[in-house]
Amino acid sequence: MSVALFVLRRLGLGLVTVWFAVTVTFLLLRLLPGDPALAVASPNMTPDARAALLTQYGLDQPLPTQYLLYLGQLVQGNLGTSFTQSIPVVDVLAERLPWTLLLTASALVLTVLLGIPLGVAAAAHRGGLVDRVVQVVGVTGQSLFVPSIGIFVLYVFGLRLGWLPIGGAYSDGTYGAAWYGSVLAHLVLPALSLTLIQLGSYVLTMRATLVDALDDDYVVLARANGIPPRRILWKHALRNALLPATTLIGLQLGFLVGGAVLTETVFAYPGVGRGIYEAVTQLDFPVLQGAFLLLAVTVVAANTLTDIAYGFLDPRVKAS
Amino acid sequence: MSHRPPALVGAALAVTGALALGACAPSAPEEGTGSASGATATAGTDTLTIATTTDVVNYNPLIGNSRSDYWITNLMYPHLLSIADDGSKEPYLATDWGYTDDTTGYYEIRDDFTWSDGEPLTAEDVAYTLNAVKNDAPSGTFYGQMGTFASAEAVSDTRVEVTLTEPDTSLIEEIGFWGNIVPQHVFEPAGSVAEFANDGSDGGWVSAGPYVLTDVQVGQSYTLERTDSFPLVDGGVPVPAKVVYRVLPDVNTEILALQSGEVDAIANALPPAQVEQLRNTDGIEIAEVTGLGYAHMVYNMQNPDLATTEVRQALAHAADYEAIRTVVLQGQAVSTGSSPLMPVLADYYDDSLTEYAFDPELSRSLMEEAGYTAGADGMFPVSFRLIYSLQDSVTSQWAQMVKDSAAEAGITIELQGTERNTYLAMTADGDYDIYAGNFAIMDDPVTNFRLSYLPGGAINYTYVDDPELNSLVAEAGVATDADDKIDLMRQAAAIVHEQVYDNVMYTQNLYMAYSSDWAGFVSKPSELLSIVNPVSVASAHRTDG
Repeated sequence: MSVALFVLRRLGLGLVTVWFAVTVTFLLLRLLPGDPALAVASPNMTPDARAALLTQYGLDQPLPTQYLLYLGQLVQGNLGTSFTQSIPVVDVLAERLPWTLLLTASALVLTVLLGIPLGVAAAAHRGGLVDRVVQVVGVTGQSLFVPSIGIFVLYVFGLRLGWLPIGGAYSDGTYGAAWYGSVLAHLVLPALSLTLIQLGSYVLTMRATLVDALDDDYVVLARANGIPPRRILWKHALRNALLPATTLIGLQLGFLVGGAVLTETVFAYPGVGRGIYEAVTQLDFPVLQGAFLLLAVTVVAANTLTDIAYGFLDPRVKAS
Repeated sequence: MSHRPPALVGAALAVTGALALGACAPSAPEEGTGSASGATATAGTDTLTIATTTDVVNYNPLIGNSRSDYWITNLMYPHLLSIADDGSKEPYLATDWGYTDDTTGYYEIRDDFTWSDGEPLTAEDVAYTLNAVKNDAPSGTFYGQMGTFASAEAVSDTRVEVTLTEPDTSLIEEIGFWGNIVPQHVFEPAGSVAEFANDGSDGGWVSAGPYVLTDVQVGQSYTLERTDSFPLVDGGVPVPAKVVYRVLPDVNTEILALQSGEVDAIANALPPAQVEQLRNTDGIEIAEVTGLGYAHMVYNMQNPDLATTEVRQALAHAADYEAIRTVVLQGQAVSTGSSPLMPVLADYYDDSLTEYAFDPELSRSLMEEAGYTAGADGMFPVSFRLIYSLQDSVTSQWAQMVKDSAAEAGITIELQGTERNTYLAMTADGDYDIYAGNFAIMDDPVTNFRLSYLPGGAINYTYVDDPELNSLVAEAGVATDADDKIDLMRQAAAIVHEQVYDNVMYTQNLYMAYSSDWAGFVSKPSELLSIVNPVSVASAHRTDG
């Protein structure tokens, strides 16, 4: 299979996945009990007023009509207008996306930077104290609940030690370089929390694949050839062990996004995740559809890029 | 080729995010802009930072329905009337109000309110607001109060006359209390008030309150700056130069921020479990605010079993209300005597109505009287499904206690806690046997009874239609003599109590937390007003300043 065909095929699969996600999101929202009029309006609203709101939202149309109208808007790049805020969904998301990108990407980088050395250390000392400690910490990390760890780090580092700010993305009244410094200070605790909850699975996967790699024939051969253990570990075994880890990162992006909803809520971080939480409580369908589309595109794009990268890294994938 | 695509992807995303954030970076304010130039010696330079759990959804006060919407738009758009601790209405923008005949009401308003763009606030603004709400039917609470409103007319700069479709002696006070007045010169050109976002995108906001919104960082903060004058505070000028509402969605984060000094007050009422702990925390003050609402259980009379009075009475006597108030609310609630006329409504409260006693044996007798026979296990052959919102932590706790105590009386209750939107949908569809929930403000008994107990009432969750009750409420709605009205409402409440058309369990006391670095707050009843009402915020000052 040619490289171009391989890439086109992956992109095509990505598009189908996005369409599927869009359709499922559309249907799921309309299967939810209740309606947006009840969620946003006064409880003593009359039935006529409720019906008028549903008409205004376009929810009085048959489902297929709503779906076709939505797809029609979508292909024109129009995500619709927020039910509750009466402003374009694109504007709602554009205000929030940079914060989520910064938070999740920082957590991703931290996870990789911490996960690789920890996984390598555990695999290199298989069965030893370091390995056991890393495994215990890894399993514990997997069982952490974001709000609990969030409140804990806020209490310790924000209130007791006073080293870092409590909540928000920056301090009001800061400008220029001070603003960027403030952004960095506010990023530390949410990024740390998000990293802690996903680091475990990354470290354990890294360790397991590296342990397998260290038993492979080419490692035995390398040892027989007198290549130093450190070089075998970092240059030979790790390169191969990184392939599954690459896949895991693609998968973890979805978990990261899920974790961001809770993290952004606890830390009052103004990202898309918190926007989703608020839109769910208000049944703001257009915002939810737009946010899930954005997330689906992000996850699919990351996975598609991973697939393509994987294809270049491992020719067997491309051939299949 | 690099073997580290994960790190590269992450780094690339981080850089993208950081670059995109550049567009989010706020610009430093220019010299000369900001707080109003007319500050006097009484006006300080401090910023009061208040925490809230949600963002503003609507800047249009005629649509807005969330707490944050209310708190922030309230600082810009005045009400005609305010409320006292006993539930009686007080002057705000209006100095006098009432009726000239059965179907004509009036408001006399102050002549010293000015919009922040220099336009005077006149009776034209008031008449425009009332008519626009009636005609455009925005989804907020205001429109829900306008059932008997026909039209309004400004007959002078300071007097508005209201025509009613039929006699209604509650209308003038209710729309005066619930409605914000908006600037006609801003809202009218925008078209329907039901659709106008009023998001400041067309030159910012115009305020006639103590503060005007000047900066919005979505998900982060809302900054309001002092206006030139606010006649309702001493000296005529608000004290804090700025008010910043910070959005902290998690209540635990809010409390940590208050303790660390990052915020000066919390707008939301504290959860009961946090009150005592914070009361004993250095640097934190707790203000007690009168509650104007109640928590209740309602029995759906569309269920044939619950249409029987004795069954409703049996259920009413099968719950231990004192235990609920002590255990779940930690004593931070008062009994209403099982009456919808709460003690806080001092004029209306009738202490001859007493709370349903927790008496499982009496419940059993009432069930037997209704024709039910308990099985060998002591349980009657009926089961009722009680719905509540899982987002309401207090109700979620006492629902379990209600189930357990009903079992002592041989009555099975199945709990169905659901996510809030599901709960609202089930409520709207009458899909429950017992509804458990609460109302934040029940300020006017006649309006409350109309909505709760008359056929077709928007919150008639009992589906009650009692001719005698209907007649009493209708009579009270047109009674012009205050004593007559009170007497009629007490008779109506006695019927509700006797027939258990509603099981009102308690009024919750509200506790608000603020930093001891601040003082001067002026508390008003209910969570909507509390210590963050406009007069309170504009009067607050630092204790060291």
